Amino acid sequence: MKKNIYSFVFILAASFIFSACSEEFLDTLPTDGVSDVGVTASTGTAMAALNGIHRDLYVRQAYASSQGRVGLSSWMYHIDEQGEDMVFNYSTWTTHLRWLQRGATNSYGYAPWYMFYAWIANANVLINGVGDNTAGSQDEKDIIVGQALTYRAFFHYQLVQQWANRYVPGGGNTQPGVPYMFEATTEGQARETVAQVYTYIIQDLTDAIALLDGKPRKNKSHLNVDVARGIRARVALTMGEYATAASFAVQARTDYELMDSARYSLGFSMGSEESGEYMWASQIQEDQTDKWGNYGAYISRNFSSTSIRTNPRSIFSVLYDQIADTDVRKLLWDPTGEHLNLPPGVEIVSTAQKYPYTNQKFIAVSTADSRCDVPHMRVSEMYLIEAEAEARQGHDAEAAAALYPMAVARDPSYTLSTNTGQDLIDEIMIQRRVELWGEGQRFFDLKRLNLPLDRNGGNHKSSINGSLMDVPAGDTRWTSLIPQIEMDANDKMVQNDL
Amino acid sequence: MRKILLTVILVMAPLFAFQALAQDRTVTGVVTSSEDGLTLPGVSVVVKGTTIGTITDVNGNYSLTVPGSATTLVFTYVGMTSQEVMIEGRSSIDVVLEPDVLGIEEVIVTTFGTSKKGAFTGSATQINSSKIELRPITNVTTAIEGSSPGIQVTAGSGQPGESQSIRVRGYGSYSASNAPLYVVDGVPFSGSISAISPNDIESVTILKDASSTALYGNKAANGVVLITTKRGKPGAGQLSVNASFGLLTRAQPEYELIDAFDYYPVMWEAYRNAIAIPGVDDPAAVTAANQSATDNIFGELRYNPFNVPDDQIVGLDGKLNPDARYKGDYEEAVDWLGALTQTGQRQNIDLSYQGGTERTDYYVSVGYLYEEGFIIESDLRRFAGRANVNFQATDWLKTGFNVNGANRELNWAQTGSSTTFVNPIRFTRGVGSIYPVWELDPVTGEYVLDDYGKKQFDIYDNRGAGASSGRHCIAEIRWDQDTDKTSTLGGKTYLEINFLKDFKFTINGSLDQRFYYNTFYNNPLIGDGAPGGRSYKTYNRRNSVNFNQLLTYNRLFGDHRVDVVLGHESYEYTYNYLSGARTQQIADDNTELINFVTITRSNSYEDNYTTEGYFGRVNYDYDQKYYLTASYRRDGSSKFAPDNRWGDFWSVGVAWRLDQESFIQGLGFVNLLKLRGSYGQLGNDAGIGYYASQALYSLGWNNQAEPGIIQDKLAAKALVWESNNSTDAALEFGLFDRVFGTIEFFHKISKNLLFDVPLPLSTGVESKTENIGTLFNQGIEIGVSVDAVKTENLKWNVGVNLSTLKNEFTKLPQKEIIDGSKKLMEGHSLYDYWLREWWGVDPDDGAALYRADDVEAASVRIKGNDTLTTDINNAKYKYSGTAIPDVWGSITNSIRYKGIELSFMFTYQIGGLVLDGNYQSCMSSGTYGTGYSVDILDRWQEPGNKTDVPRMDASQTSNFNATSTRWLTDAGFLNLRSLVLSYDIPRNIASKVGMSRARVYISGENLFLINARKGMNVQQNFSGTTSNVYTPNRVVTLGLNVKF
Repeated sequence: MKKNIYSFVFILAASFIFSACSEEFLDTLPTDGVSDVGVTASTGTAMAALNGIHRDLYVRQAYASSQGRVGLSSWMYHIDEQGEDMVFNYSTWTTHLRWLQRGATNSYGYAPWYMFYAWIANANVLINGVGDNTAGSQDEKDIIVGQALTYRAFFHYQLVQQWANRYVPGGGNTQPGVPYMFEATTEGQARETVAQVYTYIIQDLTDAIALLDGKPRKNKSHLNVDVARGIRARVALTMGEYATAASFAVQARTDYELMDSARYSLGFSMGSEESGEYMWASQIQEDQTDKWGNYGAYISRNFSSTSIRTNPRSIFSVLYDQIADTDVRKLLWDPTGEHLNLPPGVEIVSTAQKYPYTNQKFIAVSTADSRCDVPHMRVSEMYLIEAEAEARQGHDAEAAAALYPMAVARDPSYTLSTNTGQDLIDEIMIQRRVELWGEGQRFFDLKRLNLPLDRNGGNHKSSINGSLMDVPAGDTRWTSLIPQIEMDANDKMVQNDL
Repeated sequence: MRKILLTVILVMAPLFAFQALAQDRTVTGVVTSSEDGLTLPGVSVVVKGTTIGTITDVNGNYSLTVPGSATTLVFTYVGMTSQEVMIEGRSSIDVVLEPDVLGIEEVIVTTFGTSKKGAFTGSATQINSSKIELRPITNVTTAIEGSSPGIQVTAGSGQPGESQSIRVRGYGSYSASNAPLYVVDGVPFSGSISAISPNDIESVTILKDASSTALYGNKAANGVVLITTKRGKPGAGQLSVNASFGLLTRAQPEYELIDAFDYYPVMWEAYRNAIAIPGVDDPAAVTAANQSATDNIFGELRYNPFNVPDDQIVGLDGKLNPDARYKGDYEEAVDWLGALTQTGQRQNIDLSYQGGTERTDYYVSVGYLYEEGFIIESDLRRFAGRANVNFQATDWLKTGFNVNGANRELNWAQTGSSTTFVNPIRFTRGVGSIYPVWELDPVTGEYVLDDYGKKQFDIYDNRGAGASSGRHCIAEIRWDQDTDKTSTLGGKTYLEINFLKDFKFTINGSLDQRFYYNTFYNNPLIGDGAPGGRSYKTYNRRNSVNFNQLLTYNRLFGDHRVDVVLGHESYEYTYNYLSGARTQQIADDNTELINFVTITRSNSYEDNYTTEGYFGRVNYDYDQKYYLTASYRRDGSSKFAPDNRWGDFWSVGVAWRLDQESFIQGLGFVNLLKLRGSYGQLGNDAGIGYYASQALYSLGWNNQAEPGIIQDKLAAKALVWESNNSTDAALEFGLFDRVFGTIEFFHKISKNLLFDVPLPLSTGVESKTENIGTLFNQGIEIGVSVDAVKTENLKWNVGVNLSTLKNEFTKLPQKEIIDGSKKLMEGHSLYDYWLREWWGVDPDDGAALYRADDVEAASVRIKGNDTLTTDINNAKYKYSGTAIPDVWGSITNSIRYKGIELSFMFTYQIGGLVLDGNYQSCMSSGTYGTGYSVDILDRWQEPGNKTDVPRMDASQTSNFNATSTRWLTDAGFLNLRSLVLSYDIPRNIASKVGMSRARVYISGENLFLINARKGMNVQQNFSGTTSNVYTPNRVVTLGLNVKF
């Protein structure tokens, strides 16, 4: 009997030891993520993946995370900082001001490089995945793929402008551009020539325009055909294909309306959806905000961040002095820095430092809420593109006519320009610099036009910008170095001139 | 299913009617120690060849009923040599045990069991409670430093409650974790080690080789730290009280920084040289630049601590105005360190009582600790309790319950991120010596007092750009809050059934829970909360459940002993996270979210992680001379895809006790001579994501009201366990009753490294986790202990241990991978520096020169045969030494004279390099407002100056101050890590107040440090870099330890 019992215990013990947990015991699933399977199974999930990109344009990037790297909004003011029209009053966050982002190991160099390619990878999932097997209407599919293509083109366009030598209008443009990524891969790709990159950008935009034409959008955080055409116009301008630029700019702007000067004097804040001026904007909700990283946390006048209190951004005084006194934009920068004419309800904390020529163009929700819609594209730019493109073709009358609606909307005293030739071009460029200050254009304008950086004669302080007052046109520094991390992992990658 | 089985066992239990053994007679006696003549409680007394036995009570008495056939009693006690005594018909047997100087008889805790040290085939070090109890340590990890060769420990943090990181035998993983596995009372531990009161710890065993860790095969690749808590000893019971009071200060000094009188001229020069450099540029331009610097330097720095006008602080000659004196209260007001630091208090009282009968033992403790850091507003309050009860229900059935709870409240000093503005270490180091903590009248320099006559913080946005304008670490640390409230609850139970004489079946179940609640509040006046104020609340809950079932078989066949374990283990970990944040505070002094207006965060998620394993081990020895251990374990982890989740791990160990051989015994002077060796394969899945194998999109990317998701990571279905193949060989010796030690060699090859392979960023994916790459760690470990003096009254023991380590990659996914300041390459270690090569300073113009990469570039200068550059982007990289030291270890001394005992331990390191980023940040060539090292006074000032500090030049900071080999510094150090002086109050005095033992002691930690640079924290991490961490503290305590 005892032996039987012993045997029983033994069997019991053995069965315990060799009894496995249930089959599912080792299967676990995350709750803060979803499987990639099925992202393009329906237009519903695909649209969520597209909205992920829209959102990420104003999210602090996970890679090389930093408060000054909040998606496309940070990129916009950083591009302006590399030009001459954005003036700092204090030596903080001066990386771009001093062109240090150019270094191969500088985090402000490799973080945006990765950011754009990560977005491209997200767009490629949709471009390559949404199709016949995707549940949903054809219109929905077209809207998703059209937007993804627009993004792919736009992001490559940003990359090629910063990391490749300039596109030379009329030239062969065989200099190395950037890899153009068409599909998800973990293999490094070689750099395409600049000409090839632009060919692909145009192809993607052409396809996108065809898909988006006539399609609605939910709100201005989404891209529509007008945005695609606006980007197409920008690209043509960079390439010096002025007739094309003018044509797309005109097409893009038809459904929008320039702000009147009363509205304009209030500065740019929220309300992009209702304003006819905006063509494309990130619109940030209260619970989707990055308090210290939002666009408005760096570039507004009234939000109380250390960055703004100690270093409110100024306009280059040389440029400011060229704004007509009757122009509403003269009010958006204060040569005294006192800001006694702030829009109603807007206040600046008493501890904020005061400097001349600081802007009140951008206004955050409050001193405690840094939100401000991010103006990715505004209709006034379309007028400016058309005007510049016409002028550069020698069409002075058309150029003056194109400039007029925008110029008079800003300055009721403005009369049709009688300038011709270079004078007219200069007038348009002044208008452009004033109008688009802070919106991510000036450095690229200098580069596309092969102009020098010239920060002399105004309010730039060499002690702040690291004595970077001049950079000649064509200097190697106009092109950022390929990130060292990319060089290390991609055998096909070739470095730019040190 | 498992539940049903458990029920069956319990129901069946009464069926096992084991018969009580016949009683014959009773033997009684008292056991004492030869060392001090004191009685020994807890000595095990067993009838040889049987399981019949008892344990001496608190007064050393025992009483045992033995069968008539019994011939011999075996007395064993930790730290004493076992003794076998013939009964020879006596009914009273008193025994005097000799101390086991060699530790051969020491019982060490091993995986799923215990072993005598002499019989152990693996490599292990055990730290017993006597080494822990008198040290003022808050966290048991502190006791591990210096305890054994082969272990590296970081310096730890001065933040009360923070633990130290430990590496056992190098760094066997790259992307996966290198941390050892912690096992508490036999169960893998996922809680916070700092929740365990060191006073509750009976022993800490560090298992280093494959043979000793293989039963935790799946998680043991980087070593195992076994913590065993105390349990009661049968007897009348004993109450112990340990109370101490201490003071806590900063152990490592700050870097030496310049004062205001040097500050202004240095900054003036930075301004002037950015415009024109004397001796280089046109003299007229230099004259103009001098004027400009004199006129404008105040505008850059913005504070004038002197009684001279703002535009006359520095003369045109670059020298401070000779009339300049501190004005008003400036001199006192610029002392940031003084305002930040304090002498912290440390109070600790532990109370425990324990005892038992023949069938039951219990141990209960309660402990209270309050520790203030040397930075204001940082402290820890811990209340911990534990109860451990074991009950021998019948002679074949035993059960027990070990429950513990701790409540911990911790205030953080905001040192969590090195670069955050408000990090007080960064702030006080980085703020120029001209800026006041307190608001001063700009004209008179006197304090501006508030309505109550008190000084006010200077919280305005007007410092120089490098001085964190708009922030104020003292104000923010005072007004903000970062508090953890953590509760831990652990319970462990077991059921042990002995059957068929040699078999034992044990079921262990444990539950560990940790509840963490954090309040992170930023005030509305200054800092990240301003204006408006904001509050974050984070709650998380960790829950781990572990079950294991063990079947053991232990039998002696003549001279052959066989000991077998078979087991099954399952582990389930759940992590719940909940967080919310709101901004715009309504009422003062209330950080609850309801007191705020706008919701900015509201989030929760759950993570799950499970593992399951089967294992077996056979121990065999012949005649206590030849030992063999073999083990095998098969494990599955939820981190891997179903097809690849199971891994097989195994080990073999052998030992040969040469001292048991007659040819050695004949020599006479050899007490111990043991050769042992082991080989095995261990696994690792720590440090990779819980869902590492799955391709995922992240939730949480909603765009306004629309749902949004974004690509997170790629699938890694092929991922398998990382494996670590470890060889160990050692010689243990004891000679002349005085010298004993171990010489050991290990070689560990890590294969299938879990590697986050960097992908080209242009693919849009940062990295991909793969099993790729191989590296090895190899080293020699020597530990020697000598009884230098061994007389009746005076005993002096000296111990030295040293370790070496070679770490090298032998296979990598890419030719080279640059990882911060390191480059991984075959033939190089994980921590070999890859830095731009500093050459020196050009004596002609004071420029910083680096060896040039592109020798054609415009920035190139030729010096002798060297082609150099001033452009950091063109500076050439090179391999430049390693962070891994040549040798490290500890030196211990223990001197005992009658009741007085002094013991102290030095830790040391020779070789290795530190990349001192903190120092680099104090050596900028011109950042207005930042703090400066005194070494800046050696800067280049005019042509011909030979120095290694470039000229001040505010326009060249990125070139002159870049990360390069310039900042590499020798990492050698010597640290007086701990010192304990104790005095045993003579027994006759103690017993008058009813105490069986009373000791007073003084104990200190981190008492003295020398290294290459004042302020440098060599042991901050294993990779050799420095950042703004809460540096270690120095603790000096006075304590009383009594037993009733």
